[in-house]
Amino acid sequence: MTSGMVFDIKEFAIHDGPGIRTTVFLKGCPMSCMWCHNPEGQSLEPLVIRSPAGERIAGKVYTAAELASLLNQQVDILRANEGGITFSGGEPLLQADFVAEVIDLLDDVHILFDTCGFGGEKSFRQLVNRSDLIYFDLKLIDNKAHRHFTGCANDLILKNLQVLSEMGKPFVVRVPLVPGVTDTDHNLAAIAQVVCDLPGLMYVDLLPYNKAAGSKYRYAGMEFNPEYDEAQTLNINTGIFKRAGIRVNVV
Amino acid sequence: MNERIMALRDRVRAGDHRCLRQAASIKVLTECEARQLSWPRRVACLVRRQCEAEQVIIEADERIVFTRTLPGVPAIYSPDDWARMTSGRTLHELGPVSNIAADWGLLLTQGLLGRRQVALDTRQRLVEDPKGVEFLDCAIETIDAVLHLADRYAEQARAMGSENLATILERVPARPARSFHEALQSLRLCQAVVWLGGNYHVGLGRFDQYMWPYLQVDLQTGLLTIDTAEELLAEFFISLNKDSDLYPGVQQGDNGQSLTLGGVTPAGELAVNELTLMVLRVSRDLALIDPKINLRLSAQTDLDLLASATELTRIGLGFPQYSNDDVVIPALVEHGYDLDDARDYVVAACWEFIIPGRGMEVVNIGAVSFPAAADQAIRTGLSAGDDFDVLLGRVSENIDQQVHLIADAYSRLLLPPAPYYSVFMRDCLERGSDLSNGLKYNNFGIHGAGAANAADALAAVKHFIFEEGSISPQDLLSALEADYANYEHLRSRLAGEGPKVGNNDDEVDQLMVRLYTDFAGACEGYGRTPHGGILRPGTGSAMYYIWLATGHQGMREPVVGATAEGRRSGEPLSVNLSASLGVPVRGPISVLQSFAKIDYRRVFNGGPITMELSDSVFRNPESIHKTAMLVRIFAQLGCQQLQLNSLNLETLLEAKKHPEEHKDLIVRVWGWSGYFCELAPEYQDQIIARHYFGS
Repeated sequence: MTSGMVFDIKEFAIHDGPGIRTTVFLKGCPMSCMWCHNPEGQSLEPLVIRSPAGERIAGKVYTAAELASLLNQQVDILRANEGGITFSGGEPLLQADFVAEVIDLLDDVHILFDTCGFGGEKSFRQLVNRSDLIYFDLKLIDNKAHRHFTGCANDLILKNLQVLSEMGKPFVVRVPLVPGVTDTDHNLAAIAQVVCDLPGLMYVDLLPYNKAAGSKYRYAGMEFNPEYDEAQTLNINTGIFKRAGIRVNVV
Repeated sequence: MNERIMALRDRVRAGDHRCLRQAASIKVLTECEARQLSWPRRVACLVRRQCEAEQVIIEADERIVFTRTLPGVPAIYSPDDWARMTSGRTLHELGPVSNIAADWGLLLTQGLLGRRQVALDTRQRLVEDPKGVEFLDCAIETIDAVLHLADRYAEQARAMGSENLATILERVPARPARSFHEALQSLRLCQAVVWLGGNYHVGLGRFDQYMWPYLQVDLQTGLLTIDTAEELLAEFFISLNKDSDLYPGVQQGDNGQSLTLGGVTPAGELAVNELTLMVLRVSRDLALIDPKINLRLSAQTDLDLLASATELTRIGLGFPQYSNDDVVIPALVEHGYDLDDARDYVVAACWEFIIPGRGMEVVNIGAVSFPAAADQAIRTGLSAGDDFDVLLGRVSENIDQQVHLIADAYSRLLLPPAPYYSVFMRDCLERGSDLSNGLKYNNFGIHGAGAANAADALAAVKHFIFEEGSISPQDLLSALEADYANYEHLRSRLAGEGPKVGNNDDEVDQLMVRLYTDFAGACEGYGRTPHGGILRPGTGSAMYYIWLATGHQGMREPVVGATAEGRRSGEPLSVNLSASLGVPVRGPISVLQSFAKIDYRRVFNGGPITMELSDSVFRNPESIHKTAMLVRIFAQLGCQQLQLNSLNLETLLEAKKHPEEHKDLIVRVWGWSGYFCELAPEYQDQIIARHYFGS
């Protein structure tokens, strides 16, 4: 039996896919985006969070069977309300075997896989195969900028995006809009160009920058040092996508 | 809502009309004593004199009139006489009948003159029965007083050149209403006079049922459009907020001006109509604390209706409150209510299910303190070396004792006569009997408070002492005795670890279920009260989530100190059905699953699952739709009642610091909504400490 580490299980996660969903946040992420709003999910180790609400530990180990049985308590309700389970993170790909085993143990329910796309192709296929819908994050197309702001190159990500498209599963590309970083016309146009010919793409979601992230770093004992101006007005340029014939939402 | 309406709303909210109030209450005691009047005649005299003393106030642009000018309700007995009369008897709260539901349809369909004629006919029949004749004479005296007050309003309207208003007031409340406008005006005046006579928590019943025929005709004939009807409705709702600061309650806003929407008709047909939706819309646009809205639903209810209701939840008034017909109606039937009556239920001031015009029910005679029952059993049981089952037996015994204590006190209940209020009850004028003598249903309700705290405490004992053996009985007893001083490590373990209600964890949820089963058993075992009814166990806490922790003058219920779930002495309990404050909770679905386990067929007095959603949940139409689904899940799981509140924690903290900048901030307190800044600090702090489910 595989075990995995989870840093949160959120019920009634209304922004994590269709219908009523419960989202499992897997701990550990290969990337360290400068704007990450789940910094407590980055490391693979449990982390103490000290906030005004008190102290808690982010990071709990479950066996696949334990987690599946916990989730199965709600599956009927989620299914009856057009929803399901979302696996997010951190990055589920880092614990792909665990996540796959959990999904295999779940009763029949809609699965959404929310990924940054950075991981081995085998792991990626393993989870895509078990999912009904994929949320695929794209941040920056310029590889140098990608390395600078996320700590990783984007070659693997762009390759997995092609793999995803070939696998024929429906997916949504999600772009976090970070002022002056990802929201430039240049970057958005590059993203539009990459995704416009992918047959499985349903639409693009633009996720406006969330200023609330800063305090979470403090609570997690981490430092928040954005190199961009948080107060700068966002460039929410949906026109670039529309002109490329891509459906686009601002979430 | 147009500018005229919003200006009217803002004037009432600012209290501009309060300068029109008279400086002092009138005096009627001298007259009552000089004429040596009986109790019913004193009450009738009081209502008449209050009506006579009211000054007519019509503002230039008002179309639904009546503004109360009398600041209070005068005494009808001297303190000595009152003490003599009530010695050895139990008075409910302030004394006068409260928190029952009138059948306002009687007023609208028959008019006061129609009701008067019923009284006259009965009087002829009962001429040999002095009690009956006296009651009917009293009822007629009050009817005449209200008719006279309406005449004075009509005259003033005519004098001001408000011809339309004058015509309406010459018609109603004397005769049956013919239009929506007449119906609203008739109701406004007659309901306000119930308050004026000293009765309180005067609700509005099934508003979208008895009002709809008038609106329907007006819409069909073109007398009104949806827009003009909404304006009238808005003016009516605004008028309900004029005098509410004069109404008695535990806290300002606790006034029971509730109305109930939706559900099914007495014949079982779907009862939702255009007025149901209109009430939701108008209430949302006005954002006032009155009237407080209840919506009846079932697992089959249309999601669009629930989405409209969620639009109202979104603005943060703390209503609508939802009641699940699938659960409530069968439970009422099981306890002796006729099916057509059960289908006609309304929600009383807070959450209790009552039948309009057919109940002299006292639905809040007290509260069982589950934390006290659990705590006493834990302290005594651990000292005595009980095993866990024996300890649970002590809990059951304690609950039974508490039920008996409360019910025995109410076996001596003294209900003052209410001849005017009786006019709007079924069969009072018809039988020549005041409502205080009893109506078709005469049951008593008891709240069951702090169940999550008590179950968490019992689960902690079971888990840490009896199963793990990681805490010794002596350590726990010493920690409780010391109110956790120097036991912080132990306290935080008890509070933060182990099974907690709200997580769909059977280990603790079944202990909570058992508390309610014990409570239901105690009520069923008590049998009939001297008032001819049964005891209805409920799941509400009312203000007892504070009082049971801090004590309150005159309270019969036991006060509890530090408890085994890690709660220090004096800290509040959780409100109604909600997880204990500060414990880990998985989320709203698990909360609903936990509370769905209660046997609502037996625990049927009402009391909502109370859930705080962060206001960020309500960002867009999609999330509104999902919140509507959450409400449907509540019904699908077979839960009984739900309060959903939209709140922003930071705004609440801000409002505590700068109340002057947040005068309009509204919150749901226990079974009612009030202005946050008008609440006592302990009630503010308890709301701040609740669980907030974010987006």
